Amino acid sequence: MAMQKPAVAPGFDVAGGYGSCKVEEAVAPDRFPAGLRVLVVDDDVTCLRILEQMLQKCLYRVTICCRAAKALSLLRERKGGFDVVISDVHMPDMDGFKLLEHVGLEMDLPVIMMSADGSTTAVMKGIKHGACDYLIKPVRMEELKNIWQHVLRKKWNENKEMENSSSLEDPEHKRRTTDEAEYASSVNDGTDGTWKPQKKKRDAKEEDDGELDSDDPAASKKPRVVWSVELHQQFVNAVNQLGIDKAVPKRILELMNVPGLTRENVASHLQQFHNNVQKFRLYLKRLSGVTQPSSFCAPLESNAKVGPLGRLDLQALAATGQIPPQTLAALHAELMRRPSDSLVLPAMDHQVLLQASAKGPKCIPFDHDVVAGQSVLKCQSNTSKQFPQSSISFESMSSGLMGWSSSHPGMSGCANNIEGVNNIQNSNILAQMLQQQQQQQPFPLLSEPHHAINVQPSCLVFPSQSVGRTSVCSESTNLNSSNMVVGYNHPSSQSNSISMVGRQVSDEELKADGVLNSYSMPGSIPSVFQNPPVNFGPSTRMPGLAPNMCTPSYGTKTGTLPEHAVGRNLGFVGKGTCIPSRFAVDDIESSTNDVRQRSTCTFDDAEVVKQELNLDFLDDIKTGNPVLPHFPQSGFTGVLSK
Amino acid sequence: MASVNYKEQLAALVDSMLREGFLDEQFTQLQELQDETSPGFVEEVIAMFCGDTGTVFNEIETVMNQAVIDFQNVDPLVHRLKGSCCTVGAPKMKLACVQYRQFRDANDRQGCLSAVNLIKDEYNILRNKFETMLNLERMIQAGGTNKPNGK
Repeated sequence: MAMQKPAVAPGFDVAGGYGSCKVEEAVAPDRFPAGLRVLVVDDDVTCLRILEQMLQKCLYRVTICCRAAKALSLLRERKGGFDVVISDVHMPDMDGFKLLEHVGLEMDLPVIMMSADGSTTAVMKGIKHGACDYLIKPVRMEELKNIWQHVLRKKWNENKEMENSSSLEDPEHKRRTTDEAEYASSVNDGTDGTWKPQKKKRDAKEEDDGELDSDDPAASKKPRVVWSVELHQQFVNAVNQLGIDKAVPKRILELMNVPGLTRENVASHLQQFHNNVQKFRLYLKRLSGVTQPSSFCAPLESNAKVGPLGRLDLQALAATGQIPPQTLAALHAELMRRPSDSLVLPAMDHQVLLQASAKGPKCIPFDHDVVAGQSVLKCQSNTSKQFPQSSISFESMSSGLMGWSSSHPGMSGCANNIEGVNNIQNSNILAQMLQQQQQQQPFPLLSEPHHAINVQPSCLVFPSQSVGRTSVCSESTNLNSSNMVVGYNHPSSQSNSISMVGRQVSDEELKADGVLNSYSMPGSIPSVFQNPPVNFGPSTRMPGLAPNMCTPSYGTKTGTLPEHAVGRNLGFVGKGTCIPSRFAVDDIESSTNDVRQRSTCTFDDAEVVKQELNLDFLDDIKTGNPVLPHFPQSGFTGVLSK
Repeated sequence: MASVNYKEQLAALVDSMLREGFLDEQFTQLQELQDETSPGFVEEVIAMFCGDTGTVFNEIETVMNQAVIDFQNVDPLVHRLKGSCCTVGAPKMKLACVQYRQFRDANDRQGCLSAVNLIKDEYNILRNKFETMLNLERMIQAGGTNKPNGK
């Protein structure tokens, strides 16, 4: 397939979690995806050898490893040295899911699981753990030829995140995004054109009502789903209702009862959901290990970049002085649902309260209750009818935070009640903590500088909350009257569960659906071929391989890939499964340039953390500290499984 | 010296194995993977498979020789065998592994026992054929220029 050279600014890094490859170092576009660097892990040496041979035939660069531990250290040593990992599920030294978890979180590489066990439960488990694909042995060449799509998708999604974070601040980024989009287009055009990037119109301000969208039929004949706030809310509700462990796409679909929505749409959305939860958990885990109050506090006030989001917060915070360590502890405690004496925020609270109380009418009444977190809970219970029991608090949090930040009145308006403000403040604190942490030290998760996660001044939420968020925040002008409900939200009873609820309320008062309303899943962008070009390592032709070796079939396959990919994406490809998230931008599949889309998808770790947080709470996890201590082996399931 | 056409013999052997279900299309794929850059690929894979499977069977033996067989320890081993044999393209052996799984699910210890034996039997048959294949392959490789069809 012939493709033009990507017109990307030199030096532009296509972030791909792990990859630090520059576009120009990538495999020559016309040889894409040759040169894809694959790491195969399997204790069965026979399979390993066969896979190696097959992958080499696909012109991939293969590294084989028969021990999971060795594979992990290899990945750690050679950061950015691999594009995708294929791993067996059953291995003696480490469970494949564990490896999957590690890789996903530490290196953020796409991981493909494989096993001789092709039972639905096994496959489901793989998906739940965040595998981007699950191959059943015997693995065929055709399947291996397709794995590059996972790499592309992931890199593009993450790249969008990065773009989002900076695009609004820097026109240069926008240009690059455009360039990448063009590249992507050319890449797509290079195939049979069946999967052009979905250049949907992206309007950050646009709120999608979850209607199924089927533009750009060229890319896919299937209707694309745009996961709007409302739709995602429904999704979350369904998941909550079913319980995370039992939330299978089919049941979720039934509960959601959205005409036109397919099980595939839900499945892919769920996958993203799980991915983010995992990330969130890991984030939280790492977060708990970072206890430098000063580091958290210091930057807060000096962070002028916080922008609209942070304005009010800064004022409040400035008024109160540095965030006391107790606050962090309290926040942690809250998150952990551990009873903590220090839950009540000190000085800061007062100031915040004062400011808050000055404001608007539309507030969610908070109970005056002791612990900030608990008060939030109460608040929740009061407004339970208004707030759907969305488990995905991260979203609400992010949205809420955004709303919070962007709307000054909102902040105050939010809290008639001191506690409420406290809660809001808590959320802000968390967000800012995360932000600070991010700024101070790269997330352990995202150690790679190019990682998509990017703490942007705007949103409290998380690294990936980029400029886009900011824009969205500003978008949500209705935040004036919006009520940020930041705090803890537990659908059922609020006794111990704490979840962050952020809600961006539009002009309507106390939009009940609040919580998750704002943004949909921080999942990734559905479209397979969104802008940013994927960077693979420098491509090297396999020495000695017959040039036409697998080309013919490969070529054919390429042609069919898009469809296949689309089909497999279950609503991701070209389907706006990307949640507008903070940006209130629902348009996911949009064009390559769509910053939003990226931002949507990338809640990145912070959001994931939130997500996990909420989920944990929602599920009323048994122990006091479900999240951190329990960092489950099994990814998402682990979160809930106490 | 008879013009032994090892290649033909090998081809015939593989054909019969395919017809009889000892090998399937997965094996054919492996053959297609062999090329100038990996001339001994099939041979290498078969040898690896036999060696590796032999090791696994030793472990199975150990478990099966216990006074009370704990099939939970057998499970991962059979699963491993299943992965190997299906990747190599040996459906009969794979089927035996599947049967084991079924007996396990049904908690049929006797069935499990017989299934393990079946796996072993299938493997033995397969291994014999593989060894013949390997021998033929080596003869072919060693044939040099003497053979009209040899390398």
